[in-house]
Amino acid sequence: MLEVLRAGLLTPLPRAPSFLLGVTGHRGEVLPVMDLLRFLAKGEARIMPRTRIFVGVSGTYVAGVVADTVLGLRKILVSDILPPPMGADAATEHMLGVVAGPTAEETINLLNFTKLLQTARQRAVAR
Amino acid sequence: MMAHEQEQQEQERVEDEVDILFFEIGERLYGTDASQVLRIERALPEDLSVPSLGELRRGSRALVFSTSEGEAHLKVDGVRGVRPIPIAELRRLPPAVSAAPFTIGACLDQTRLVLLIDLVETARTQGRH
Repeated sequence: MLEVLRAGLLTPLPRAPSFLLGVTGHRGEVLPVMDLLRFLAKGEARIMPRTRIFVGVSGTYVAGVVADTVLGLRKILVSDILPPPMGADAATEHMLGVVAGPTAEETINLLNFTKLLQTARQRAVAR
Repeated sequence: MMAHEQEQQEQERVEDEVDILFFEIGERLYGTDASQVLRIERALPEDLSVPSLGELRRGSRALVFSTSEGEAHLKVDGVRGVRPIPIAELRRLPPAVSAAPFTIGACLDQTRLVLLIDLVETARTQGRH
């Protein structure tokens, strides 16, 4: 991850994949912004006052992903990371693992951001 | 001597800028190389509209431009003027962004990013002139 931004004005892209919400200007460059929910076929993000964009990089590809809110930064012991649950849906495919919480609601799903961006690029090119 | 220097500076300034014509389709603002636009006319029903650029509100204006097969007319809602934009403020879209082939880049216009459209390519992708 590079940084977290407030969701500002997004410029929609004609004929782009639906998960690509648009582009925004960031530090003088064009930043593509993805909707993770659409990408994983789990709904769609809504841009609200607390919406944030977290910016990640994989190789030379930099992209932003919409988050409803950012809760903070937390250290996790590698030994606490469990394998992702069995399943073949897009979400499981793009997870590094899970960290169990005291309750099911507090379980943390760890995204494999590199894999996420790779798949996004493949899907975009394959269109 | 001073006049010559001023002339040279002006020439350098012109070479570092490109005139962008800004236009609106629905709520979206786009830009295009102003040198592509021959004139702005009142739109006619048979003029070209490109739904992927956005939903036209009234589409009462048309940008007239030249293609290899003659003039083409793109319906727009409004023209927001022509401004010289420094070339340094123009950006290509990241390679992984697969958008329509007529989106050739973006320009950083104050707080917002404005997509730059190749008008000739819009006519080609619509198969109309």
